[in-house]
Amino acid sequence: MATMLRVENLKKYFNTPNGELHAVDDISFEIEEGKTLGIVGESGCGKSTLGRTILHLLDSTGGQIFFEGEDVTYLKRQKLKKLREQMQIIFQDPYSSLNPRMSVREIIMEPLLLKGEMKEDEMEIETEKLMETVGLESRLADAYPHELDGGRRQRIGIARALALSPKFILCDEPVSALDVSIQAQILNLMLDLQEQRKLTYIFVTHDLSVVKYISDEILVMYMGQMVEKAPADELFANPLHPYTMALLSAIPIPDVHAKNQRIILKGEIVSPINPKPGCRFAARCNYASEECHKQQYSRELSKDHFVSCHKAEFINK
Amino acid sequence: MSINNTLLEINNLVVEYVADRKVIKAVNNVSFTLNKGETLGLVGETGAGKTTIAKAIMRILPDPPAKIKSGEILFEGKDIMKMSEHKIRDIRGNSISMIFQDPMTALNPIMTIGKQIAETIGLHEKLSRAEAEIKAIKMLEKVGIPGERFSEYPHQFSGGMKQRVVIAMALACEPDLLLADEPTTALDVTIQAQVLEMMDKLKKELNTSVLMITHDLGVVAGTCDKVAIVYSGEIVEYGTTAQVFDYPGHPYTKGLFNSLPRLTSNEKRLKPIKGMMPDPTHLPVGCKFRDRCPHAIDECREERDRNVNIGNEHFVKCDIMTKEV
Repeated sequence: MATMLRVENLKKYFNTPNGELHAVDDISFEIEEGKTLGIVGESGCGKSTLGRTILHLLDSTGGQIFFEGEDVTYLKRQKLKKLREQMQIIFQDPYSSLNPRMSVREIIMEPLLLKGEMKEDEMEIETEKLMETVGLESRLADAYPHELDGGRRQRIGIARALALSPKFILCDEPVSALDVSIQAQILNLMLDLQEQRKLTYIFVTHDLSVVKYISDEILVMYMGQMVEKAPADELFANPLHPYTMALLSAIPIPDVHAKNQRIILKGEIVSPINPKPGCRFAARCNYASEECHKQQYSRELSKDHFVSCHKAEFINK
Repeated sequence: MSINNTLLEINNLVVEYVADRKVIKAVNNVSFTLNKGETLGLVGETGAGKTTIAKAIMRILPDPPAKIKSGEILFEGKDIMKMSEHKIRDIRGNSISMIFQDPMTALNPIMTIGKQIAETIGLHEKLSRAEAEIKAIKMLEKVGIPGERFSEYPHQFSGGMKQRVVIAMALACEPDLLLADEPTTALDVTIQAQVLEMMDKLKKELNTSVLMITHDLGVVAGTCDKVAIVYSGEIVEYGTTAQVFDYPGHPYTKGLFNSLPRLTSNEKRLKPIKGMMPDPTHLPVGCKFRDRCPHAIDECREERDRNVNIGNEHFVKCDIMTKEV
């Protein structure tokens, strides 16, 4: 199958008064058409920044982005506008990402209006179709976001993202603000849409159960770096990086008989400003030694399973 | 279990919010008991009425708009609602304390965290300022924060540490009852694991009873002895955590479990509950879940007591699905 998106050594640094903040540091991956890459990590690990840099909502500091084989790292305005039709985003918070002064119809129609290729009545019909696709009742077309609950608002966000028939959608924590029963409805909708339209997703989340459910492949981030990447089932069955192990063991499992040995990590994430070379997890790692403070490289330990840890073989013996 | 093992007993609590001539039925006839040293999980979705129950116990519901219409809340046998303002102030923070969801807003930003803890202690115990400060440092260390950080301000702490400060404050006077309202929802999983482990340790050390309000069934499985599932202001299922998790009886509870993506299974599609929570100003007559229930029949429209004990104090508020059991 064709590669939809390829990212090579992508970097995004921010300048702060205290130095350079390495939000995304040297991340590479590719996603095939119709597949989902889950990006997980804790607050501040750079997962949203990574997504937004790929969408050109932020300028990258280094590295390259290829979309359908074409280098799109630097684009002029017109070309970027064309690219954005293909790359859309669904935001976390369905409360603040919708304009409160626009009706449901206006919000969903806006991308069509901006593209400017359809007549008024064509757009009306298209909007109705989109509402039906995402399961919004047509009577809600003239309602305003504040009249609707979180689940319906998130459906508006999805309809808007679909309006220009993109090939790729960045889903930035799209179900984190929703209750479980509604969350399940939205996740199923997203999977249905993916099947029908062969969509490619990047699914950014901190919820590991959700990411396992929706992803084909998962990339784990820690302080701007990729610590591990593997097919979803493989990652959960056989985590290789000490951070991934701790992260997976910390998931509260809704089963009273689950006996998971929790690995309780020491300390907390430190700031990624002017980071020292070497493994950024070393300060909290139970296995850390001298060599961990040298430069880390991602290695493919088994098929499609990448890990950035010197000691992975030793730990998993 | 003997009677005097009961710490908290709530009987037929009804709370309404009145706004714009609309009546929001937030808590509808809720009853439960909590024994000493026990942790009860109060589980439900946004708007189910969980926090309203906790606030009613603390007697911090703002009136207006909140009105406690009926029921009683017995704490160590005495009705909290009949207590004088003086008496309830004595209980708050001393015998019952509460942890709020958001540690970012629960602390005073212009007061050092040590002072904030010492202030709480000073209010409830007859200690000099110096003694209160020593105790505050001890509490900080108990929750895993070095005592040297006594004179730092909230902004100098991370989210997980702030929540630990809030917990230190809540436990400073060794309360008998801790109301924990989504204490780890705002935290990352690895930090959540740290905080839950610490709470569990302190709870055992001080023999505190905990009312754990959460929407996370995983947290309940790991921390609670008993669990009450709340839907539209009613407890629809109540039992030990093992009873409810292994043999969920109410269609809503089952639906909740089916909505959860599981790490252990490879299902391709979740089975969500259809529809949404009913509007609390227009609750359906009869069973409040019937519009979303796959098993609903005409009888479900009847207004009647449908609470069924399906064995060993495992209660399910549905007499249709529990018939054969």
